[in-house]
Amino acid sequence: MSRFKQPSGHTNMTPMIDVVFQMIIFFVCTVQLEKEAISEFILLPDSPHGPMVAEAKDPRTITIEVDDRGRMFIARTPLSEAKLRKVLAKTVADYGRYGPSIPIRIRADGGAEHAHVKRVLDACTAAGLHKISFVATKDRA
Amino acid sequence: MTPMIDVVFQLLIYFLVTFTTPDVLAHLDISRPAPDASQTEQRTPPKMIRVNIYVDGYSLNGRAVSKEELARILTRLAGFSTSQTVLITCAGGSEHARLIDVLDICAACGLNKLSVVSAQ
Repeated sequence: MSRFKQPSGHTNMTPMIDVVFQMIIFFVCTVQLEKEAISEFILLPDSPHGPMVAEAKDPRTITIEVDDRGRMFIARTPLSEAKLRKVLAKTVADYGRYGPSIPIRIRADGGAEHAHVKRVLDACTAAGLHKISFVATKDRA
Repeated sequence: MTPMIDVVFQLLIYFLVTFTTPDVLAHLDISRPAPDASQTEQRTPPKMIRVNIYVDGYSLNGRAVSKEELARILTRLAGFSTSQTVLITCAGGSEHARLIDVLDICAACGLNKLSVVSAQ
């Protein structure tokens, strides 16, 4: 008991500091995880007038990325066109009736050729997906 | 307490320095023609605003325009009605940023029925 007893006028701060540090570590780790789903090498084009990203995000949303060399990624996994079509078709089939309304977000590099973006658009259309939107930077930080 | 406060201040400085505000993102919704509609593409009703994007320029209803002209004319057309369909045809070799520019102009003047078609 006397081990925890502080000299008069002082409270024992150690447990509180432990907890605070645990929380800091937790938040740092979770922020990192969220960042890893998207690639930082894609330079999004600017769209100062575009509508803002909706806060309530549909959890089914699939983000497809296209880099400036035309490579396609989902969650940083490079995909061939055939593989992308297969993945999308499988996802739509899994959701059944709600499949075609899965929102698609395309994060394409501003320097990518439209032909590469078109491959993604065609793959989405072929899978029956129709809620397609492009992501652009509204306000650069 | 002093060493702990030192450490906490170090951490505070570290987080302040590494903190970057994320970019605000915009979403530009489009619609795509159904895969079997490519054959019937020619019979588009004349009410549509047709914007073509080429590798080195834009055209509006068949007339070559600059980006500023395009913005001006689209704003005027949107003044009549924002429910008009805009059919955007994009050349395969043009940059994605050019398509986003046109979608941005449409978003700025309230046109929201956008259809994107890819030309070979």
